[in-house]
Amino acid sequence: MSDLTRSLIWLPKTDEEKERVWKVLMASLLVIAAFSMRDFRWNVVWDAWPLLLKGLGLSWALALLSVTLGSLVAVPLAVARVYGPRGISHAAVALIEIVRATPELMVVFWVFFMYPILIGGNLSAWTAAVVALTLIAAAYLAEVVRGGLYSVSREQTEAGRATGLSAFQTFHYIVLPQALRNMLPAFIAQFVMLFKTTSLVYVIGVIEFFRTIILVNNAEFAPYALYVTMAVGYFVCCYAISWLVRRIDPKYQLTE
Amino acid sequence: MDWYVLWDYRWPLLNGLTLTIWLSAVSIVGSTIVGVVVGCLGTLPSFFLRRATGAYVETMRNIPVVVKLFFLHFIFGLDAIPAGILSLVLHQSAYIADVITAGLRSIPTGQTEAALSCGHSRSQIFQYILVPQALRIVIPPLTTQYIQVVKNSAVVMLIALEDLTFQTQLIEHQTFRGFEASTAVTVLYLLIVLVIAVLMTLAHKRLVRS
Repeated sequence: MSDLTRSLIWLPKTDEEKERVWKVLMASLLVIAAFSMRDFRWNVVWDAWPLLLKGLGLSWALALLSVTLGSLVAVPLAVARVYGPRGISHAAVALIEIVRATPELMVVFWVFFMYPILIGGNLSAWTAAVVALTLIAAAYLAEVVRGGLYSVSREQTEAGRATGLSAFQTFHYIVLPQALRNMLPAFIAQFVMLFKTTSLVYVIGVIEFFRTIILVNNAEFAPYALYVTMAVGYFVCCYAISWLVRRIDPKYQLTE
Repeated sequence: MDWYVLWDYRWPLLNGLTLTIWLSAVSIVGSTIVGVVVGCLGTLPSFFLRRATGAYVETMRNIPVVVKLFFLHFIFGLDAIPAGILSLVLHQSAYIADVITAGLRSIPTGQTEAALSCGHSRSQIFQYILVPQALRIVIPPLTTQYIQVVKNSAVVMLIALEDLTFQTQLIEHQTFRGFEASTAVTVLYLLIVLVIAVLMTLAHKRLVRS
């Protein structure tokens, strides 16, 4: 660019200026997008908002419940995989890897079909969804916990044992607290994944956010407004969670 | 239990397997291309490029695949197969871009500076110094991403594409043998995943040796 053009056009130079220009660009993009969507039937979304909010609440409940139950299962699974005797550790590996290699949709179907055959009686869709999501969460979180356990160096265990702590005390007071701290970002990344996975349990009839949108759409047929709402809803929820990760550790980049 | 049902339904299952495999293969290739381009752009020194790729990655990663699929199919009116492929590509390319960016960034900047001071051009540095090293770092996480593509491809049954998962529902609805069908299909998925894992491990070994 010649000196003349450079003197005529203002260009952002420092990072703060560029940041401000970027924000203005993004904001104007959002305004343009909102403007181009003004003819969608937003009144449908407006009228259905208690339903939609209930659906979103149910999605959150599913995600939170299964991540809680999942981590309760994940810790023993990971400990079994890392410290267990050969048979037990192989069993844990098999369980973790099979669940991780099966599509989430199949896991949901599995629980829904298998339960009546193995135990008899019927399983409500809601219970099946929680069980399936818990299984998925447990398998993925077990890997997160394993990563956390490996992140604590061996010397720590050896030092703990040398000072006379028992194996359990070493694990409980030395390894686990450090591992938990190290795996927090990965844990929250898995939570984002799980939140997105809740959109799949609609196939067995749980009326969470996704299904609510589909049902309202079937009744009112306003796909444009409703689907935009759905995408924005999921984006805001997941972005809020990953924003939290960066608040905890700015260095951390979300990776699966 | 009646495993014979699997033999009766061998053709639907085989068709489902074919569809799942080629859908995943196309999506894997597509998402790798998009992911590599976005990931490389993200490492360039330009501020706006970095922000734009970051925005792409964040948007694509924070919206479930099903939502993208329904968006593309019902709003943009794409046919089932293009919508399926495109949603898988959009979804996974964001993750792959992240893997690529992380891989390229993990190579110390000292190497780039050394090469620059030796008189190499930017493209030469990229070709001879960054890519060979980054490939080795990137392959293990890429394996995970490719497996994710295969797993995510199951959602295309929701827009009535007859993939493997769709066939389990077909068998369940016609014969109530969902358990047997699910078992068989899970084993098939495990096999596909295993093949990918083995191939990627072989590729990694070959790269490390050379």
